[in-house]
Amino acid sequence: MTDNTDPVVRTGRREALIVVGIWLTAAVWSVTTSYRLGYNRPVEELKLIWGFPEWTFWGVAVPWVVCVVISWIFGALFVHDSHLGEELPEEADELGLGG
Amino acid sequence: MTNHLPALLAAADTSKMPSVGYGALIALVVFILASLWIGALANRRTREGSFMTGFFLGNRGLGAWALALTATVQSGGTFMGFPSLVYTHGWIVALWIGGYIVVPITGFGILGKRLAQLSRRTEAITVPDLFRSRFGSPALGLVASLFILLYLSFMMFAQFKAGAIVMKTAWPGSGVLSVNEDQKPFTLTAQSLSTLKDDGLSDVVADKLTPLIGHGFSTERELTAQLKSLLTADELTESKDRIVKQSKQWDRLYLYGLAIFSLTVVAYTLMGGFLAAVWTDMFQSVLMFFGVMVLLFASLHQAGGLENATRTALKNTGPGYVYGPGYDDKFEGPKAAPNATTAPRMAYDAAVPREFLPLSLALSFFCVWVWSGVGSPASLVRLMASQNTEVIRRSIYLLSVYNLGIYLPLIVICICGRALIPELPGQTDEIIPRMALLATKDWPGGSLIAGMILAAPFGAVMSTVSSYLVVLSSGLVRDIYQRFIRPQATPGELRKAAYLSMIFVGAVAVAVNISPVAYLQAFIVFSATGSAATFLIPSIMACYWRRATVAGALAGMTGGASTVLSLYLLGILEKTPEQRIGQLTSFRPYYLCDFDPFLWGVLVSGLCGILVSLLTSPPDKALLSKMFDKETAK
Repeated sequence: MTDNTDPVVRTGRREALIVVGIWLTAAVWSVTTSYRLGYNRPVEELKLIWGFPEWTFWGVAVPWVVCVVISWIFGALFVHDSHLGEELPEEADELGLGG
Repeated sequence: MTNHLPALLAAADTSKMPSVGYGALIALVVFILASLWIGALANRRTREGSFMTGFFLGNRGLGAWALALTATVQSGGTFMGFPSLVYTHGWIVALWIGGYIVVPITGFGILGKRLAQLSRRTEAITVPDLFRSRFGSPALGLVASLFILLYLSFMMFAQFKAGAIVMKTAWPGSGVLSVNEDQKPFTLTAQSLSTLKDDGLSDVVADKLTPLIGHGFSTERELTAQLKSLLTADELTESKDRIVKQSKQWDRLYLYGLAIFSLTVVAYTLMGGFLAAVWTDMFQSVLMFFGVMVLLFASLHQAGGLENATRTALKNTGPGYVYGPGYDDKFEGPKAAPNATTAPRMAYDAAVPREFLPLSLALSFFCVWVWSGVGSPASLVRLMASQNTEVIRRSIYLLSVYNLGIYLPLIVICICGRALIPELPGQTDEIIPRMALLATKDWPGGSLIAGMILAAPFGAVMSTVSSYLVVLSSGLVRDIYQRFIRPQATPGELRKAAYLSMIFVGAVAVAVNISPVAYLQAFIVFSATGSAATFLIPSIMACYWRRATVAGALAGMTGGASTVLSLYLLGILEKTPEQRIGQLTSFRPYYLCDFDPFLWGVLVSGLCGILVSLLTSPPDKALLSKMFDKETAK
């Protein structure tokens, strides 16, 4: 029965799971790194990297750049071209009125 | 309230108002004309297909730029509040906003493709349309549209007020630089105090009033009570009326602002519908990007580099400014920490009264930004309107770069701001406009550039309102009028209904905002998270879960909505002990176990959705096949 499932549903579901994985990884990395380096620290030990506090650099700035790269890779590899439904004519679709 | 006063007293004289001149007004007029022109352009495009898909969904022809820059960018209000948070609490706000690093992928990668497909299969124009057809239940569609109408009305009313205040801001010599959505009806500003002095108010009284600068009062009685405690009986009888009049925020300028703003927005949205909303949004997002870039280099230059800025800002504040859980000026400000030399100064210790971002909230916001972007009705509609997967893919590329280029620089700008302008008591919302004025003051044509940056919030508010207008009107026309009142309506009647509904909604918004009610704000705060908590889980169920039933989706919606609503009500009505975490606002939610209400809403919504679906009988096979299976040859 599920053999007949539309490929968009299947790839969509798979891609959604991958994205959730990326989100979880990012959240865990960002929050734990920031917490480890940036909470409950004496101010005398403040280290700045390029002007960012150390925790912001490793916990937010670097992951941000990494995520941009991942977004591009994800887009290139996973968001497959699929037909989103051709039954609607490109122009003059009267169906919008009926429902 | 009184514990703010010492800090205010000390700094009141530093808050001289920089002059804006005509730059902002010119920029604003340009904005208005550009929007009307965009509306006219969109009008031509809208006429290509049928009225309903054209007007309400842009013929499902959104390109990458339009989709990327408008679907998940937050509303004007959020964008304006954010710089103020960085200025107030410091670097920790980078972690607060941290979820945005994955928003480009989550916003488009989780539901995008499938939702675009479903909306074509169901021929849906609106989100309730989609639910109605996907589950084959008019009742579900109706519940969805009622939720959307309710949330969006509240959010839109607030935006009208913001728009009117920005118009007022642009007026040369108005004395305000920025929009504060929390602005109370009675606020004494530095400007109004100096007007009073010019008007013959004695210096003795003026000095007594200084501590009140920037303080908001909800009613005239509250202000009078405060005045009574500050002034002698004679002074009171002599100048009370004048002070009250000057403190009144909803003055004539505000009303003009409200009128111009409403007419512009309704006019261009009426002309161009969905496309006009999306295109003005795009226009404003691109401008914002350039504004931020210019400001970034100018502020870094002025502050002598980021390292210098961070160190100076730290010196101006305290350890919390560079560490978690954030800076609290009430507690560790320069006046609050007299002998900090004995022990190493920590960003946090058990006696710190307010934590902006404890670990639980850091985690919460990683979820809030990501998942409310996925589940908010306005984002869902835009995904439904996307052209094809190529567009979705390109949107991911674009938005990832755009977000990095906007949010991180904004943080840097505000850190520089704290280094260059050590204190802005009661006016932290003005940090971006003030930085714009400061950065461009020596440039040729600087006032126009500053004006552009000052007017950017106006663009943001305008595009937010127009997109809400479209969704609201589509809800009234498509989901109520066409579905329940007049199914046989002709395209001509629908067009008329759409125009009438927009004018009606605009008129109600103006009526509500002529004298804004304080309690409205509470619902607005709740609406943004509430709407996402209501629709996130049901949308995921609709897209990917065959076993989801009508009752399940219904339970998911109401479960999420009622959880968030009750947690907010508990906090707002002060039924729960005060929690000293998070943002300091007049309407705080109750953070159950220190987590944001949105998380609890989604959790309850998910549980209700899954359990109720499994307990009710499976949905109709034919319907499922139409929604999930390969299309059979026609």
